[in-house]
Amino acid sequence: MIEVINLGKTFHDRKKGDIPAVKGISFTCSPGQVFGLLGRNGAGKTTTLRMLATILAPTSGTARIDGFDVNEKPGEVRKRIGYLSGDTKLYDRLTGRELLEYFGALAGLSPSAIEGRIAELQGGFGLVDFLDKRVGKMSTGMKQRLSLARVVLHDPPVLIFDEPTSGLDVIGAREVLKIVQDLKTKGRTIIFSTHIMTEAERICDEIAIIERGSILAEGTVPSLQSKNGGGSLEDVFVQTVGAVTSDV
Amino acid sequence: MTSRSWAVWRKEIRDALRDGRTIIAVFVVPLVLYPGLMLLMGSIESSNKKEEGALRVRVGVVGEAQLPGLPKALQSVQGITAVTLDRTPSSMESAGVDAVLVIPPGLARSITSGDSVKVELLYKDADHKSSAADERMQPVLDDVRRELTVLWAQTRGARTDAPPAIAVEHRDISSKEEEGRFMAALIIPYILCFMVAAGSMQIAIDATAGEKERSTLETLLATSASRGEIVMGKCMAVITTALLAGIVGIFGLWFNFTVLANLMPGMASQSIQISIRPEQMLLMLVAILPTAVLLSAIMVAIGCFARSMREGQTYATYVYMASVFLGLGSFRQLGAPPLQRFAIPILNTALLQREILTDTVVPMHAMVTLGVSAAMAAVMLVIATRLFSNESVLFRT
Repeated sequence: MIEVINLGKTFHDRKKGDIPAVKGISFTCSPGQVFGLLGRNGAGKTTTLRMLATILAPTSGTARIDGFDVNEKPGEVRKRIGYLSGDTKLYDRLTGRELLEYFGALAGLSPSAIEGRIAELQGGFGLVDFLDKRVGKMSTGMKQRLSLARVVLHDPPVLIFDEPTSGLDVIGAREVLKIVQDLKTKGRTIIFSTHIMTEAERICDEIAIIERGSILAEGTVPSLQSKNGGGSLEDVFVQTVGAVTSDV
Repeated sequence: MTSRSWAVWRKEIRDALRDGRTIIAVFVVPLVLYPGLMLLMGSIESSNKKEEGALRVRVGVVGEAQLPGLPKALQSVQGITAVTLDRTPSSMESAGVDAVLVIPPGLARSITSGDSVKVELLYKDADHKSSAADERMQPVLDDVRRELTVLWAQTRGARTDAPPAIAVEHRDISSKEEEGRFMAALIIPYILCFMVAAGSMQIAIDATAGEKERSTLETLLATSASRGEIVMGKCMAVITTALLAGIVGIFGLWFNFTVLANLMPGMASQSIQISIRPEQMLLMLVAILPTAVLLSAIMVAIGCFARSMREGQTYATYVYMASVFLGLGSFRQLGAPPLQRFAIPILNTALLQREILTDTVVPMHAMVTLGVSAAMAAVMLVIATRLFSNESVLFRT
């Protein structure tokens, strides 16, 4: 379960002064649900997800992950999440297996538990052929599958995906989305940010459109479509975001 | 150290050992490059000495006739060609000589009347050949001094034509072991300091600024490991390579000067017996440990602060250079250094290493060195952890 309550983040720049990146947003995401955060580049998606992953500290409000407050119990939160960003890279000089062993150890798993989990995951994530290859020699698709295996290695109940298909080809992106859907059916709580409408339509149960740090619209895809007089999700997005842009 | 810190340590060491830059910094440079260069320098120096021995210098002599024994004295020294001159030339270059010996007119009269006399040797210290002529003329000048003394003694009624032969010689009686101990005390503390700095530099910047540059940092920060555990693991990995570089460096010196120099033809004169007893080695490791921690923590802090590896390496190079200069401070130390010098980080460790190698350790020096270094290392570790926990530093662009 993810509960976001008036969550805000303001960065301070010596020259520009205070820059509000996220302005008191609230939403909830339940187990077995994929919550989509839809927005343009710079809308505040990554900052929101980084706060949920306790990489950044909120400047106002809070969020509870699986019952633990990100401000008060960041360590407990991190035990319960798997975080993947499309920009995130892996360690080129390690093999796939060594990488999983490393992150398993950081998650506090015993060597035998790590070995067991790798054996479980290598089939489902298609890692068998390249698990002992160095990451630097893997293709982008291989790396992304390995990244997904890393995210779920310690079997976290909450998964945070920040544009996970970024830079992938159609086949690679489909593989990622399939894995996310599988995780959803296993009852994981998933938050998924993207700016690709078709992806959001395909896998998200609920969507929040975020622009300039504020949530402008929230609901299921059909409900958002009906509120905006039908049309595709892209139409809904353009109408919602366009209205704000024209107001400025 | 928690199990997560050890996991970070293992990963960083594994990562570093697969990185050619670390291999070069920790193994190739200390084991091959620096000792090899020192050996080469020794060989060049030896060759220079041989060339110097074969060098012929031209010495102009003004007023030669006033000292009958002078031509014989000049002939007795190898490599000197004496050129008789009427007067002191305006320039040595135009006279075609490298030095000029000037015997003033009326020398005998002055001696007889008991006046002081001055014989001059004109040379140029800035000119290598002229400087060599000065060095070579020293025995001739001794003869001149003796001849003048005899002349003076004769005017005072002494019955002698020639003084007794008095030889004052310089003879180095130090053994290879003593030379080795001296060289070890001179070089090893300095080498250790800068090798530890060089060994820590690459991995520290790669493990911190490198994580930012390669976009692997976010993934690491979202794991269950705390920032403190991550920094501790990274610092331990940096300390490991720093110490490894130091140990490899000492081994490299010993191997090159004691083993390789004996095996290579023509290099035998360069061989010295560098011997370090096991207990000395242990004490040296104990002494270098706080400094290794200090330098590693400084490098990690720099890496946390830097936006990119290039920026980190630039700052780290300044620290490296500072440690090289501080280590050099132990080179010219004659006698026991004052206590306050042991409060200067890095220099204190080099001085203490020197005391260990010469069996002259002063307990107070050791306590101040270890205390100051450990305290500063602890402060730097706290600073490194704070920087790694500070999101405005970690994510600054």
